[in-house]
Order: sequence, then C-alpha cells, then structure tokens
Amino acid sequence: MTRDDLRVVAPALFSLRELALAPVSPATLRAFSQAVIGWIWLICVGAAAMVYVSVSVFTSPLGIGLVLALGGVWVAHWFAVAEAARLTAQTGVDVVAAPRRPNPRGGFWRTALSPLADGRSWAAIGYAAVSMVTSTIAFTLVIGFSAMGLAGLGAPLYLEHRNVPVHTMADVMSNVGPLPVAVLGLLLVWLTPVVAQASALAQVTLGRALLSQSAAERARAAQKAAEAARWQAETARREAEARARHMVHRAEHLTQTRTEAVSAADDDRRRIERDLHDGAQQRLVALGVELGVARRQAATDPQSAVAALDHAHAEVKETLAELRDLVRGIHPAVLADRGLDAALSALAARTPVPVEVVVGDPQALAACGPSAQAAAYFVVAEALTNTAKHAHASSATVEVTCERRFGWDTPARGLLRVVVTDDGVGGADASSGTGLDGLRARVAALDGTFDLVSPPDGGTRLTVEVPCVS
Amino acid sequence: MRIVIAEDSVLLLDGLTRLLEAEGHDVAGCSTADDLVAALASPATLPDLVITDVRMPPTHTDEGLRAAIHLRSVHRSLPVLVLSQYVEQRYARELFTTDPRGLGYVLKDRVADVEEFLDAVARVADGGTVIDPEVVAQILARTPRSGTERLTAREREVLTLMAEGRSNTAIADRLVVGLPAVEKHVTSILAKLDLPPDADDHRRVLAVLRWLDQTNDPNGAHR
Repeated sequence: MTRDDLRVVAPALFSLRELALAPVSPATLRAFSQAVIGWIWLICVGAAAMVYVSVSVFTSPLGIGLVLALGGVWVAHWFAVAEAARLTAQTGVDVVAAPRRPNPRGGFWRTALSPLADGRSWAAIGYAAVSMVTSTIAFTLVIGFSAMGLAGLGAPLYLEHRNVPVHTMADVMSNVGPLPVAVLGLLLVWLTPVVAQASALAQVTLGRALLSQSAAERARAAQKAAEAARWQAETARREAEARARHMVHRAEHLTQTRTEAVSAADDDRRRIERDLHDGAQQRLVALGVELGVARRQAATDPQSAVAALDHAHAEVKETLAELRDLVRGIHPAVLADRGLDAALSALAARTPVPVEVVVGDPQALAACGPSAQAAAYFVVAEALTNTAKHAHASSATVEVTCERRFGWDTPARGLLRVVVTDDGVGGADASSGTGLDGLRARVAALDGTFDLVSPPDGGTRLTVEVPCVS
Repeated sequence: MRIVIAEDSVLLLDGLTRLLEAEGHDVAGCSTADDLVAALASPATLPDLVITDVRMPPTHTDEGLRAAIHLRSVHRSLPVLVLSQYVEQRYARELFTTDPRGLGYVLKDRVADVEEFLDAVARVADGGTVIDPEVVAQILARTPRSGTERLTAREREVLTLMAEGRSNTAIADRLVVGLPAVEKHVTSILAKLDLPPDADDHRRVLAVLRWLDQTNDPNGAHR
C-alpha cells in the first residue's frame, strides 16, 4: 500500500475533508462498483476454479489431471492479468500483473513442467481463493451498511415510537424511536463509503501482494534487463569492431591489389613498348637499310639488288606476323569476336604440346564479364607458353568452368575457374618479375585467387578463380 | 676502313653490316655494350669508327651511350657514331660535353635513309660532328631565348645546319648557295647570338649547342 493508493482509493481514510465528502466522492462510487462487480467476478472465477480443481484431482489417476493442472496454472497467469486490469480500471491506481516466468532451457519435461514451478501462478490461484472470502465480506458489508443506512434515514417516514416487547429488529427500532434510528442511518451513510473505500484498498493491497512483482523481484528484473542491455551493447560493439576490422582488411587488400594492378598494367605497357622497339621498329629500320642497299645497287649490280629486295620482302612478311602476334598479346581479337571457348581452342592449337581443352557450360561462360574472360585467357596463354617453353611436358589440360554462386559476402554472381595442368618437369616459379607474377596481380585486382602447385619432382597445376560480376 | 658496330638487334646488325660491307668497309659486330668495351680494350687495335646503339642489354636503357662516353674518355680521338631510337636531348647533352670532334648522334630511323647515313658515317670517321636534325629541331623549337627571333628565316636554316655539325661548304651545298653567302650568314648569326666568330666547325657546333641548350635549362644556368 502506498500513499498514492490511500489518496486515490481510500481518500476518506486520508483526510477529514474527504471523510466529510465521502458519500459523494467519486472514489466511493468506484469502490462500490469494485465491491459489486469484483464480488460477482471473483465468485464466478472461484466457482469455476473449484470445479476445475475437483475435475483435476479426480482425473489425476488417469494422467489427465497433470495436463489439466498445467492448463490451470497457465490460465492462472491470464487470470492475474485480467484481475490486475480490473483493479486498475475500477480503483484508479495501477496494478500490474507479474510477467510469466520465462521457460527455462532444458529437456522436454523440464520445459513442459516449468509452469508448475512458477510461484507467480500459484500466488494468483491463492489470490483467487482469498479474494472469494474478502470480496464476499466487502460486498456484504457495503450492501448491508448502505441498506441499513437508507432504512435508517427513512425511519421518520414509516416508524412510530412505540413501546413493544422486543422480538425482532423492527421491535427494537420501534422502541428506540424514528429520530435515533434516523441519526444512526445518517452515521451509516458516512460509514458505508468509508467501509467501501477501505475494502477497495484492501483488495488493491491484496492484489499488489499476490499478483504483482515484489520490490525485490522488480529490482532483480531491472538488474536482469540492465545486464541484458549491457550484453546487447557489448555484442553490438564487438560486431562493430569485427566489421571495422573486416573493412580495414578489405581496404588494405584493395589498396594492395590496386597497386599491383597498376604496376601490372605498367609492366604490360613496358612489355608492349619493348616488343615494338625490339621487333617491328628494328625490322622496319632494317627494311629501310635493305631497300636503300637495293636502290644503290640497282644500276650497278641488279642481281644483288634483287637479292636485297627479296630479303626486304621476307622482312615485311615477318614484320606483319610479328605485329599480329603483338596485337594478339594486347587483346586477342578472337576472344572479343568468338568468345573464350574459341580463343582457348586457338591457344591450344598454337601450343606445340598436345592440349586438351575442357570447357563447361558455354552459356554460363559467355555470361562472365569481359575482364574475367580476358584474365582467364591470359592465364591460359601464359601457362601454356610456360608449358611449351620450360615444362618438357607430353600433354597439358585446360579446364574452364563457370559456377553460379549466391553469397552474402560477394557481389559476384558467378565464379570463373581455370585449371591448367601439365605432366612436365614442374618447378614453375611465380616469384616477382615473372609472367606468372603479373598474372597473379591481374587476378588479384579482380578479387580472384591464384594457386600454383608445381613440385620439383614433376607436374604443374595452376588454378585461378575469378569472380564474374555480370 | 674498319668499323665496329654494337647493336643488339640481329636483323639491324645484319643489315648494317651488309650495307657497310657493300661500301667496301671492314665490319665487326657485337651485341652488347660490354662486348664493345671489351673489344676496344687495346689501343693498338682501335677501329676507324664505332657505331653503337643507345639501348642495349642487359637493362635496355642507355648502356650504349655510357659505353660511348667511356670509350671517348679512354680513347679521345676514337670516332663514335651513336644511334638512338628516339630523340633524347639529355643523351645529346651528355655525349657532347667533351670535344665533339669525330662524334655523332643520330636517330636510328636515319639509317633507313642510306645516303644520309653513309654521309654521317663518313663525316664522323673523318673527325667531323654529326647531330641529328631532329635533335636540333627539337632544341630550336623549345628555345624561346631572345636572339633567335632576330634571325632571318635563311639564317635559322643555316643555324640548324651549323648545329647539325655541317661545314660551311656542306651548308652551301645543301642550300644551293655560294660559299661566301654562307660565310656571311654565319658571321651574322654569331654576331646576333653574341658568339665568338670561330672558323673551327667543331668549336662552332659546341658553342651553338651550348647556347641553345642553356635556354632549355630550367634554371637558366650555364653548364
């Protein structure tokens, strides 16, 4: 019971002014309705409960009783909720039903039987039992006192002062006379509200005691909530930290691969420049010399001039072939025109070692982005060049597959996998400065993986996986 | 005469060899700058001319040029003709810091112009100076220095040919004018550029080049 309860539910017990105004106080009206409705409701619940308990007890040998008991306990909670709501509505102060105890983790039986161990439900059942008595008393007192009060007040209208032998209450009143009875009625008119308010207060107090959480429980719950919040905050902090760490890793990775990609592109440009300088340019200069010689000799030594022209002609053809190779090295036209499949077949056909090309679903392959396809092409080209040059292999295999992939951690929807194997001497090297190293940078820039297995006792297996965005 | 060629492109080495042999020269080839330096270690067997490419193994940067500079510092009067893939003023500057007598720097493409190339070979072997017109044109184009704008069109032509290392006679031939006319132009140019009148072609080339080169130095400092 709090001071607030006292002031709202039973103001007549709280101040003299309220006591004076008790018969017309709204608190009195509420207390009256509480007494009447509460009594009807609690009696109904009590009667239902008694029937229910009797059935449970009688059927317990059949095993049904246990189930009914569980149901009863479960219902008890909802009764507590409903009763708390009724008290709140009818008295004007908040009564909050205790929350159901959370199911403990454990085996089936432990979980199933846990409601039986919930003291709150048993308390609610106890409240229902006690309230049957208290509400009945309150109802009787309130109705009785108000009836007597009204009867007393009306005494002057129907009572005559007579001296009669006393047999009934009416005889007593007749002996006392209408005036004292009316005074008594007036007293009762004041006493009834006080009793009504007091009974409401008692009911609220009982409800608080048996339906609500105790202060200790509230404190424990608050502590638990605080702990849960702290735990949640801690978890969130850890997750945020993990995410931040992940982002930092990712940023570092991107920075590194971007640098490598730029330097790989630079290397490519240098290589192209070198190829042009050492190849086509030199050939053209030599061609110029050759033609110059032919011209000088044309008049004096036609035979030598023709020989020089033949030389120059051959030179032109070789220059063209070299330019064609160079252009293919920059970006193979067949890859753009006919797709990866055809480009790989062309590569295999140019390789002096027999190469078996196994290509997965051509449609899925065609759906991979041009960057991934170009990377795959150059990986195969470099690997086959190495195979032909260094591996002394008798055969090689190129396998290209494209997997669809759905993952939360990757924006890519496919994965292009290239596996190049040969049965050569092994010992291939992808350390910095080699052609394979440039490819590794290229693949890394596409977020791909590069795996070279080339033991010194023979065989080389290069596996490259490149995510394709499209 | 005896010529040693250092050139890593087998094709070009072959072409040059056949060209020069057809002209009646005795040609020896080597494919790296180190080979070249090794071949010319003994002063007793010096050839009449060395032709070297700038870019050669192992680093393919400026091995040939450094070999040429080295050879000139060891054998001061050894004629050296340097072939360069592209015009690089810095190379020319490094090469021409010393006596330009018997020194040439020409674009490789010039080789295809056989007569021009043979002329350069003959001039350098003869102790003359040859600087590629491209180099001179580049220097001239980037020269905002006061003085050149006071030159007439004809004088600019003469200046270009002077810078290429040509003698007055050669300039007269090239421009199809008489020798006295060329001499008049030269005197006028030297006067306008505040250069000492000098009969010596080599010293004249150096002076002209230095004069032109100063203006391209960002600091404007004399070198």
